[in-house]
Amino acid sequence: MSTDALATNRNASPPSGVSATSDAASTPQVMGTRILDVKDFSVEYGWGEGAVRAVDHVDLHLERSKVLGIAGESGSGKSTLVYGFTRLLRAPGVITGGEAYFNLGDSQGTEEVLDLIGANERELRQVRWSHISVVLQSALNALNPVVRVGSQFEQVLKTHRGGLSRKERRARAEHLLSLVGLDPDRLARYPHELSGGQRQRIMIALALAVDPQLVIMDEPTTALDVVTQREIISELYELRARFGFAMIFITHDLSLLVELADEIVVMYAGRLVERATALELYEAPRHPYTLGLLNSFPPMHGERTELTGIPGSPPDLSDLPSGCSFHPRCPYAMERCSRETPPLVNTGETDRSVACWLHSGDDGVQVPIELSRRGPSGSTPAETP
Amino acid sequence: MNVEATSELQARHLTRHFSVRTPGRVLNARRVLRAVDDVSLDLRGGEVVAVVGESGSGKSVLARMLARIVRPTSGELALQGNTIPLKAKRTLDYASQVQLVLQDPFASMNPVHQIRHNLVRPLLIHGADKAHVQAQAAHALERVSLSPPEKFLDRYPHELSGGQLQRVSIARALCVRPKVLLADEPISMLDVSVRLGVLNLLRALCDGDRLAVMYITHDIASARYIANEIIVMYAGQVVEHSRGTDLVDAPTHPYTQLLIASVPDPSDPTSIAPETGARTQTLIAESGCRFSPRCPHVMDICRDTEPPQFLVGESHTSRCWLYRDQPEHAVEVALPVRRGGEEIAETRH
Amino acid sequence: MKSLRIPRSPKVVLGLGIVGFFILLTIVGPYLAPDNPNNTSFAPNLGPSGAHWFGTTSLGQDIFSQTLVGARATMVVALVAGLIATILSVSVGVAAGYLGGFTDDGLSLLSNVFLAIPGVPLLIVIDSYLPTGSRSNALVIGVIISLTGWAWGARVLRAQTMSLRNRDFVEASRIIGESRARIMFSEVAPNLLPVLASSLLFTILYSIGAYVTLAYIGLTSTSVWNWGTMLFWAQSNNAPLANEWYWFVPPGVCIAMVGTGLALLNFGIDEFINPRLREAGMTSRLRRRRGLPRRPRLGLTPVVRASSPRPARTFVKTGSGAR
Repeated sequence: MSTDALATNRNASPPSGVSATSDAASTPQVMGTRILDVKDFSVEYGWGEGAVRAVDHVDLHLERSKVLGIAGESGSGKSTLVYGFTRLLRAPGVITGGEAYFNLGDSQGTEEVLDLIGANERELRQVRWSHISVVLQSALNALNPVVRVGSQFEQVLKTHRGGLSRKERRARAEHLLSLVGLDPDRLARYPHELSGGQRQRIMIALALAVDPQLVIMDEPTTALDVVTQREIISELYELRARFGFAMIFITHDLSLLVELADEIVVMYAGRLVERATALELYEAPRHPYTLGLLNSFPPMHGERTELTGIPGSPPDLSDLPSGCSFHPRCPYAMERCSRETPPLVNTGETDRSVACWLHSGDDGVQVPIELSRRGPSGSTPAETP
Repeated sequence: MNVEATSELQARHLTRHFSVRTPGRVLNARRVLRAVDDVSLDLRGGEVVAVVGESGSGKSVLARMLARIVRPTSGELALQGNTIPLKAKRTLDYASQVQLVLQDPFASMNPVHQIRHNLVRPLLIHGADKAHVQAQAAHALERVSLSPPEKFLDRYPHELSGGQLQRVSIARALCVRPKVLLADEPISMLDVSVRLGVLNLLRALCDGDRLAVMYITHDIASARYIANEIIVMYAGQVVEHSRGTDLVDAPTHPYTQLLIASVPDPSDPTSIAPETGARTQTLIAESGCRFSPRCPHVMDICRDTEPPQFLVGESHTSRCWLYRDQPEHAVEVALPVRRGGEEIAETRH
Repeated sequence: MKSLRIPRSPKVVLGLGIVGFFILLTIVGPYLAPDNPNNTSFAPNLGPSGAHWFGTTSLGQDIFSQTLVGARATMVVALVAGLIATILSVSVGVAAGYLGGFTDDGLSLLSNVFLAIPGVPLLIVIDSYLPTGSRSNALVIGVIISLTGWAWGARVLRAQTMSLRNRDFVEASRIIGESRARIMFSEVAPNLLPVLASSLLFTILYSIGAYVTLAYIGLTSTSVWNWGTMLFWAQSNNAPLANEWYWFVPPGVCIAMVGTGLALLNFGIDEFINPRLREAGMTSRLRRRRGLPRRPRLGLTPVVRASSPRPARTFVKTGSGAR
């Protein structure tokens, strides 16, 4: 790709170097209240015959100050998707298609759109941390073990808030620690001297250090105990209410997302299989996989009954089943499912879509009762037209 | 003595201390870390005992003491009524009776060996007839619902998924026909969709083969799902213990209450933050009740004196001063000393 | 194990070729030699010619024949010494690393002592005590060379074993009641294969150097032809001063080429072991062809769009008013 193509195009039209094959890309980018718009995005690992498609034509968007949850099992592509459009994905990951736009404008409605896929290294550096920050699952690996916590704050603030004096930086670091419920004396410690929960809090404080508009959380609480997880989640809740950043929360724990997220997308084998608001998804799942996931968490009250989970194993990305990748494990699989891949389509309800032939509206396809429950907003899937 | 008749493995006052360096103190002062402190439990055939605790609560060390690959500092252990001399070496016979399944299925299989090796070796070690080991290995895979076995025997670990590997891991433990199966967080590394399958398998083995199962977990919901008996550990101690699901349905210890309130529960979307008491940097008290620094109900007595176990219901105990008007629960002190062979066990008390 | 792949990297192919060529020479060299290397019937100090490709010595021996015959002794001693040294270093390294405690202390002390003793002088001392008859015995020479060459490998293997010792699969073997010896050699050792292969290559290289040195200073039997004795005779007849380069260059080049071949093979081990390199097939040549940067840069995921048109758009957005 030529350097011209990599030059930013902070307004209107997408860079010329990007092959504008879809109609969506050729129209000017007006994002409005959207902070992130990912279209038809694909990522592969490796090249040639050994290449594995980890993210397959995914569309995603996020409104300002909202929380988007991405749920999926290992290998579903949930992390690859997010590291892909932020361009943080390591070799041998390669982006093979799609667009991603990030709105740098402020909440007053100004627009300044950055094409993340066409951007060069310098532009990405400017956006990272100050606009998009990431909290990783393992804080121990993300924090430099030989540098005191205080110096790590110092480095971030020096790079992104050059105007601050040493004293101001120190004050800011202490303030950030207090936001996540830690004593300022932790600044003098090395990462290994802190507990897992404290380290993860420090990661969150670092991620918030320069007021980003979007914070990406990649399984931030998976390695933590349930009590610590609860504390951190409630802190995140308060922090978001206070600072209004948008959040993408990646986890395999769907029940956690239902509590935390505004909207949830469920991924399976690199594709989105369902998108809905959190409550709708929990109360009235439309995709058999979502239903299976929800039924995989033993309940905390009520009679003990035997649950079955989902039969089979998650698929091997290098050898995906034909048609719908989920069909070998799906209790409702039809003949069509093994032949054709279902597209992600609107179910006829506001703001929710599903990729399943059960909801195709075709004659003779009966949607099972458990997949057509009435959601909290009172909607049911569209009747056969 | 009815209960005792079915007890496969009994532990009394099991304790393990580690001596650790305290960083930053003069001359590397060493202090004692009480990893497991005075834990007593019975594993009975056909029952699942769930041990719930956070990381560092000592639940894994407890399992390793029961498997006798970590030597207890003190305490007693009896396998099928026979007291085990703790200072003696772990025997092959003990290994075949008590098996441990590890947490990480990917790490617990040697990457250079086929699945077959993992099943054939234990059989050969424990004296199986060479002519039958292949058939027995195949049978072991069928028992954990990996069929047809031929499809798996010649694979390498990296060719299987996590759920399949954990089943192989269980098959490896089962092929020597143990009486007791200790499972150390067997589902925590697995994908959500296959966890129930492994839990149901454990339950089925327990019901079908009268296996005594100890299920270690940090997920109290899964403990409620499969256990006949639940134990909650905090900082090496049993803080609450109940038969059935009483402990989850009506928790008495403040720590158990906190644990349960912390579990994400989508059916109650309004629940955000449970009461955690004062957040302090030290989570474990050196004296008194170990949970007292985090406890929202902390009283003066909690800071000074360690609480004993109080009976708060029928076979439901709680280590908390809130229940001091209840009767204290005492564990039968010494095990019946019935020895096979001339080994001399040291009996305490 | 997994089926062997044909190595892609040109380095490895070259290394394999060179080492293969010399191993072939070890087997067939003496039969290919046109003359008896001891035959002094030719005219002395002939330069390279059609009759004598590498010329003749000042005693009138054919240098080409000497080089071919000498390959066998040199390579056999090197392989024997390399194998014995590797077996020693595995035994000592794995035992020290796995057993720990006093065993580790003792074995580590032993390998440290051998590391600290300068190898060649020790060789000279041991060698000078050997009865003259056994100086021509490749096995004896191989054993004494291996004695000075195992310690480094043992240190590396010990460190690797210590990191494997606490892995779950080793604990799993302990749980099922596997014996210590079996855990060490059947569970731990196979995982050391990459380190082992690399260590074997380097001990072979070291052994060639040590053997040639011994022969060059005249401490092995001068009646057995190897590349070291050729250099010994060239040196003692003042070949360098007499500008008889064809006498000492052939053995020198052979030694250098075996060394290069072994070093190149070592790259192959790296490529074979590193699963990221292997599975993705991202060799540097493929990267270049695809227009990707040669070295992956952190924080800048490359974008490569397929030149062929995308499959039909799978995302269908029905109108929001469908309700």
